[in-house]
Amino acid sequence: MKSILLWFIFSILGLAIGAISALFMAGLLFVGPKLGGTLIIDDWASDWSIGSETANPYVRARVARHGLLALRKEEAVYFTKATDQSGEPLREACTYRVEGSSLPATWWSITLYDAQSRLPMNTDSRLSFDKTQAEFAFGGDAAWLFDVRASAIADDSLPWVSSRAAGEFDLMLRLYRPTADFLDDPVSVLDPPQIIRLACDGEEK
Amino acid sequence: MRKLITLGLFIIAAIAGHFLTLYLVPSVIMNATQTRLADQGLALNQWAAAPRMTPQAQTIVRPSPDLFYAICRFDLQEGAMLISAPGWDRYGSLSIFDDRTNNVFIANLDGENAGILLYHPTRPSKEEGRSYIRQDEDVLAFSGEGLALIRRVAPDVEQHSASVELIDDSVCSPVNWAP
Repeated sequence: MKSILLWFIFSILGLAIGAISALFMAGLLFVGPKLGGTLIIDDWASDWSIGSETANPYVRARVARHGLLALRKEEAVYFTKATDQSGEPLREACTYRVEGSSLPATWWSITLYDAQSRLPMNTDSRLSFDKTQAEFAFGGDAAWLFDVRASAIADDSLPWVSSRAAGEFDLMLRLYRPTADFLDDPVSVLDPPQIIRLACDGEEK
Repeated sequence: MRKLITLGLFIIAAIAGHFLTLYLVPSVIMNATQTRLADQGLALNQWAAAPRMTPQAQTIVRPSPDLFYAICRFDLQEGAMLISAPGWDRYGSLSIFDDRTNNVFIANLDGENAGILLYHPTRPSKEEGRSYIRQDEDVLAFSGEGLALIRRVAPDVEQHSASVELIDDSVCSPVNWAP
């Protein structure tokens, strides 16, 4: 009787440890190892396993949690960048210029999120810049630019995205229906936007 | 001997617990999502348009303010489901996720309608089901619960309103054909 009780306890203990180790390995408990690919191009980072057809059960579990309802990579790819060209964190106190050229997708957008991954709580209605705006402002999306700043300026001829109430933030680039050559060789094909710091509060421009 | 059996049971249970957990995680997450959507009042087998994403209206992390979203939670227990959405003159997609979070179907909505018949694999036959739908619609074997999602590029109020109106022409409902 004592042996049966011991075996029962150790079986339950084994199940629990097995479950905890699975959640840890899948990156769902504590930090855990992040199995699966992170693609970084000029500090624009993408979780390349989201939207992938993968048999890896650890990646599948993590993607189910962090990429729920995410589209396949053939449909959409996401990149995030939280630093400027000099490696400094993006913050509300600074003004930035974002410059880019044609991106390998049917449509694309760049959206600003605060440190809690939320749209900044302002009423400027300047949350993102996209291919449609690039075509409208520059007659195409071969070369485009916009500013990121916390308030409007008198000369409003240049498109801008508001960082008001964002604190430290990042920019997310979404590529909808990316091209096949980009998916085959993203590092060679993607010419990612540059984020250039123009000035910060208390600094000369 | 008793120690060996104890150790063996522990190792076998740990391995079983490890892989069982990995297998169950996607289903548990999708089930929790379905429950949460139901608790929010999202009716079964019916499209519902999400409000336009603004800082004040956001309910999820990293919402896309440029996109219109509509969602339908469905269950094939009543038989086959027809899921379709009208086209859009810009980027758009219709996608379907199964009860393990797999993206099992996706179709473009750019300028063209899209639709699919989801079919329980055991009743009735796939071929029979195909005869009930148009040739340009597809058929997919499917069982259990799922989520359908419409995404459309709609960066301003006017285009978002136009997308909401298209919900009336979208279908997410059981197919009732003659027995």
